[in-house]
Amino acid sequence: MPTILLVEDNEMNRDMLSRRLKRKGYDVALAVDGLEGVSMALAGGHDLILMDMSLPELDGWEATRRVRDAEATGRHVPIIGLTAHAMSGDREKALAAGCDDYDTKPVELDRLLGKIEALLARPV
Amino acid sequence: MSGLTTQESVAELRHELRTPLNLIIGYCEMLVEDATDAARRGALERTLAAGRDLLDRINSAVPPSRGEITESEFATLREALREPQERIVVATGELLSSLTSADPDPQFERDVRRIRSSAERLLMVELPHHVERARLTNTGDHPAVETTPPASPVLGAARILVVDDLEDNRAVLERRLRRQGHDVVCAAGGHAALDMLARDKFDLVLLDVMMPDLDGLAVLERMKAGASRDIPVIMISALDDVASVVKCIDRGAEDHLSKPFDPVLLRARIGACLEKKRLRDTELEYLRQVAQVIDAATAVEAGRYESGTLAHVARRSDELGRLARVFDGMANQVRAREARLREQVEALKREIGVARDTPRETARREPPVLAAGELFANRFEIVEEIGAGGMGMVYRALDRELGEQVALKILRSELVSDAASVERFKREIRLARHISSKHVVRTYDIGDRDGVYFLTMEYVHGITVRELLHTRGRLGVEPTLAIACQLAYSLAAAHEQGVVHRDIKPENLLLDAAGVLKVMDFGVARPSGGASGLTEVGLLVGTPAYMAPEQLFGEDFDQRADLYAAGVVLFECLTGRLPFEANSPVALIAKVLRDPAPSPSSLDAAIPAGVSDVVLRLLAKDPAHRTASAADLARLLTQLG
Repeated sequence: MPTILLVEDNEMNRDMLSRRLKRKGYDVALAVDGLEGVSMALAGGHDLILMDMSLPELDGWEATRRVRDAEATGRHVPIIGLTAHAMSGDREKALAAGCDDYDTKPVELDRLLGKIEALLARPV
Repeated sequence: MSGLTTQESVAELRHELRTPLNLIIGYCEMLVEDATDAARRGALERTLAAGRDLLDRINSAVPPSRGEITESEFATLREALREPQERIVVATGELLSSLTSADPDPQFERDVRRIRSSAERLLMVELPHHVERARLTNTGDHPAVETTPPASPVLGAARILVVDDLEDNRAVLERRLRRQGHDVVCAAGGHAALDMLARDKFDLVLLDVMMPDLDGLAVLERMKAGASRDIPVIMISALDDVASVVKCIDRGAEDHLSKPFDPVLLRARIGACLEKKRLRDTELEYLRQVAQVIDAATAVEAGRYESGTLAHVARRSDELGRLARVFDGMANQVRAREARLREQVEALKREIGVARDTPRETARREPPVLAAGELFANRFEIVEEIGAGGMGMVYRALDRELGEQVALKILRSELVSDAASVERFKREIRLARHISSKHVVRTYDIGDRDGVYFLTMEYVHGITVRELLHTRGRLGVEPTLAIACQLAYSLAAAHEQGVVHRDIKPENLLLDAAGVLKVMDFGVARPSGGASGLTEVGLLVGTPAYMAPEQLFGEDFDQRADLYAAGVVLFECLTGRLPFEANSPVALIAKVLRDPAPSPSSLDAAIPAGVSDVVLRLLAKDPAHRTASAADLARLLTQLG
């Protein structure tokens, strides 16, 4: 099954979303902040990254940029940005940072799963 | 326009509101998937519906396109969230109460608690900080809404311990309390909280009731049974029924707050609680300082009082501070007086030392009745004769029964000539035994052997003031004051028991080597010559000189006659002469009755006027003009010294 790296600082969000993804058959790896997320992403082994954008110290925007910079010549792992900010322009901002897609919290699971499946189905 | 947020702030607010909903909806959907029990499923679906309702209301009030929000709009939104939020609290309450210890489901319980805490967090969301500042300076267009908390905390910063097993609840409370200026420490459980309370100091504890490891009520009980009993506790709980609140208050909680908190109420309750604690702390500090003053009094009595011990109490501006200042001043005065008394006694000891080294003239007026080595009354072994006075011969003797030395006084037969006089002696000795003073020679007993009456008394190895005066001529002011003070103490103790000496004179005042004065013959002294002092030639000389005018007149007299005699003794000590001198007893008595006593300082300018005045006052013809009591004399002398 595909492995998803979930980068989320809020323990309850992490717990809830990871359990829901596992129920859908995904393997889930967890990172608790931006630095750990970048580090784990670069270590490889993940098919997709769910990146919370509101992270302490190194936020999701910057973490995404670093991942993209590092993998410039290697494999491209799809990243979905997640935020509860829900400001106009967030989607454009996320895409500009290097996200492949964007979703808002509260997560509508079916919608998110659709985006995940679409990205995983995309040819590398 | 004041009261508006920036676009970023609205985004932050939206984030604050939507994040809990992410959890409510997410966990709920997951639990609905698992639910097999119809009741449980129903409660979960109601929760989910309420969550979605909340989301709709938030999205409607603060859509992504919205770049600003006013305070009144925010207050309206919060009110709008209250109803669906309460639906979640009720539904999750049902879910939690459906759990039984027989059928535990920890995962389910934890998830439901997270849903509930997320719902509670919703109503704790505040406008971002810089918006709050704008509100505080609001001048017009958007007056502050009614739910606005006070502009500044009633009290200064307090150190508050927040105890909640749910991270999110802790984080929200911590942030809110910090905004109010408090120092906040969090504990994730009951045991951790008790550890922190044992290590650290807190002004207030906010304690969640329902916690998995050790619940809030158990923590509260342990706090109130231990060293943290004085720290106020506000219980926080989703249960707001009267029985739950009463249970908390019964166990010592200061207050109870139901989740979700109204921010205004939270601030007000905390403020009230801290104010109560401040008042209680003030009261405890007051009582502690009262105890310190009492301890200081004990220390003064034990001679251990250190000057300045009460300095911090004395800094108080109230009555207790005044008491401490007065007490400290008095204690220092007492110490100074004691030091002066020691100096006086040292001077007296030097005089005694010189006198003892000077060979005494032992003018024996009659041969001893008893010889050294003789056994008297089959009990007292005579050691030596130590005096011969108006009452009879005095010997140092060894009491063979007790193995102690005593002074044995053989009474002249005329003093105990009949049964009535013997009985009076016995009665007065019994009375004199009640005198408790180290300045009184104790009289042990009266007995007779073949019609010869004798007294046994405490034996004091020392010299009389008469011998001292005989050797030294007169004493200085310091030794005289040392004698005066001790004589006053002795008379005060005797007069308190209703015993009047009646024959205070230098011969009856003994001084031991340490300078301690002891008065002899309390209760047994009979001034030579009886009331008139004139009838028994040979015993008269030297005694009428110490008798008060009222005593010479044969009138009724009281303890003030002893004060007159003390005045004569002190006059003699200071000047080396009597206040009234004459060639015959009659002339002497005439002078005593008629002439004013000369001032000691008129005879020697070196005698301080204060000392001279006290002596003159004691020598007043009218007893009413003397010091009222020996205790008063002692007070006067200590002030002089």
